[in-house]
Amino acid sequence: MLSVTDVVKTFNSGDRTIKPVNGVSFSLEQGTFAAILGKSGSGKSTLLSLLGALDKATSGDVVVDDVNISKLPDRKLTAYRRDDIGFVFQSYNLIPNLSAQENVMLPMEFAGRSHSARSARAAELLNQVGLTEEMHSRKANRLSGGMQQRVAIARALANNPKLILADEPTGNLDDETGELIIELLRRLAHEKKTTILVVTHDQALASQTDRKFRLARGKLTEDD
Amino acid sequence: MGVVSRSVGNAFRNKVRSGAVVVILAVAIGLALAMLVANEAVGSRVDSLKASVGNTLTVNPAGSRGGLGGGEPLTEAELAKASAVDNVTSVTGTLVVRLRNAAEATGSTTGTGESAAPGRGGPGGGFGASGTTSLVSAVAPGSIGQRNNSNGGSAPAGGTAAPTFSIPIQATGVAASTTATGTAINVTNGNQLNNFDAASTQALVGSTLATKNSLKVGSTFTVQDRTMTVTGIFDAGDTFENNAIYLPLAATQALTDQAGQLSSLTVQVNSIDNVASTQAALTSALGASNVDVTAGSANLQSAISSLGSVANISLIAYIASLATAGLIVLLIMIMVVRERRREIGVLKAIGASNRTIGVQFVLEAMVLVVLGTVVGAVVAAFSSSPIANALVSGNTPSASTTAAGPGSTPGGGGFGGGGFARTRGALAGAEQLIGTISTSVGWQTLVMGAVGILLIAAIGALIPALLTAKVRPIEVLRGE
Repeated sequence: MLSVTDVVKTFNSGDRTIKPVNGVSFSLEQGTFAAILGKSGSGKSTLLSLLGALDKATSGDVVVDDVNISKLPDRKLTAYRRDDIGFVFQSYNLIPNLSAQENVMLPMEFAGRSHSARSARAAELLNQVGLTEEMHSRKANRLSGGMQQRVAIARALANNPKLILADEPTGNLDDETGELIIELLRRLAHEKKTTILVVTHDQALASQTDRKFRLARGKLTEDD
Repeated sequence: MGVVSRSVGNAFRNKVRSGAVVVILAVAIGLALAMLVANEAVGSRVDSLKASVGNTLTVNPAGSRGGLGGGEPLTEAELAKASAVDNVTSVTGTLVVRLRNAAEATGSTTGTGESAAPGRGGPGGGFGASGTTSLVSAVAPGSIGQRNNSNGGSAPAGGTAAPTFSIPIQATGVAASTTATGTAINVTNGNQLNNFDAASTQALVGSTLATKNSLKVGSTFTVQDRTMTVTGIFDAGDTFENNAIYLPLAATQALTDQAGQLSSLTVQVNSIDNVASTQAALTSALGASNVDVTAGSANLQSAISSLGSVANISLIAYIASLATAGLIVLLIMIMVVRERRREIGVLKAIGASNRTIGVQFVLEAMVLVVLGTVVGAVVAAFSSSPIANALVSGNTPSASTTAAGPGSTPGGGGFGGGGFARTRGALAGAEQLIGTISTSVGWQTLVMGAVGILLIAAIGALIPALLTAKVRPIEVLRGE
């Protein structure tokens, strides 16, 4: 369960104050596949960074399973990102000199799991996202965009997070691959009861989600 | 894949850059190690120089040089006075006498020529003997001996040369088992002297003299009318030096009727730096008209000070090279951190703690430093010896062009006294004393090298590692 109440984020730019997120409130049940639509510069990424504990809100509360992450100290935020959140980025953000499997193993290494356990789980997750065995040991920078995004999704799933935040996950992919990724995310949300929140300006992606929100000038509204 | 293997892998992500960094580090670390090795080599050379010539002063009666002069013998009271001078750690008095063969002495008068400092080679030594012995000299007099004998102060009555003549045997009365210059007597067979009473019958006999007279440990011979027992055979290094005996000081004084008299004092000064001032202090304490105080070598000071400046230069160069290596590590790691801000953001976003990332970057720097050290050690192995010698030759005052006298090595005093050695030895340059600096790697060098390198690795890596802590996880979204 994700509950966001009156979240505000302000930045000072010279003598002006910018509010990319201005009083956003919404909540998502566990296992919901949701999308936040918005144009470039509408504050989508800022909202995502607040939900993923990459940044702190100026005011308001972000509650994930009864834990208010906007009040957590930095050390606990690291644990929150590691254990409860999975990130999928537009440009994949894999570590280029590590293999696909090693990339997926990273969050589990930070969580202190044994090498054999994380190696086995990484292989299992890569199979789940449709990456064949021979691709597992290939360096991340030698995989295609679609494959990299699959690895990124497998990495996001590594520590069984409650929430997966995806920032334009199909932004760098062709339509066909994009649809496969959307389908993969939707399946994961429903089968694994993982809440998935996708930030996008892609209408096709948004149309496949359970709930759709629009962010404009820092304000969030839900589409029917 | 753990943090260690990830760090090693990261160190080689950019092979060309890492290779260049390793080469630069190797040069800096190699230079640092070479400087450290040079520093140690020079340090040990200074120690051995100090040990070889040491901080000793020799006090002789004024005018007794070469056995030509007159003057009054030194006394036990003067020994006590010398001991009281500042910076003096110990004073050893010795009495050197010459003993004629008893058989030859029969029928000829024996002079009471003044005794002199030990040593050999000085010209003009009179063969005045203070007593007789049953021993026969192992050294044939030859023409020089005959000439000295005829010129000496113990000319037989009537002015004609004795029909048979052999070189007198030098007997050194010592109060401890040390030579007149304060070094231990090298006893090769038997024991050192341990009974220093006036009635003692112990004696040490030089190896050539022992062979000539068929003496073994336990054998007996006479000095004046006393039967002495050989407690040990010593080897002083050459045939002439070994044509001598050591007796207890008190016994020597009693046997030759020289009670309370000494022929020379060997004074140990607490530090090489105080030798010059103590020399002056001793001269004034004992009276400039009574004694001559001589130092081992005037060149020693200049040898040691030039080596000291080499030691300083090499130490400064060591620290500078290490600081350079540290800066290289620091700059390259700052560059790496800047380059990988986004990746650091990714790691933080997926749950890496600041510490994990910091450790990863420290290890990455360590990989570069270790490789630089390995290559640098090879560089140092080949360069330290030439560097040490180049530094030494560049910092040593050039030797005097005047040929050095026969007494050029310190301590090689003339037969008649150290004074000749000093004046002649002064012509030799400090270079001769320094000799060739040989380098070797001792454990201190290794420990200091390791500590220095670890320090630069720590400084070089810690600051960038701390910078990674400042990278916020939101960096991952920058540019998206």
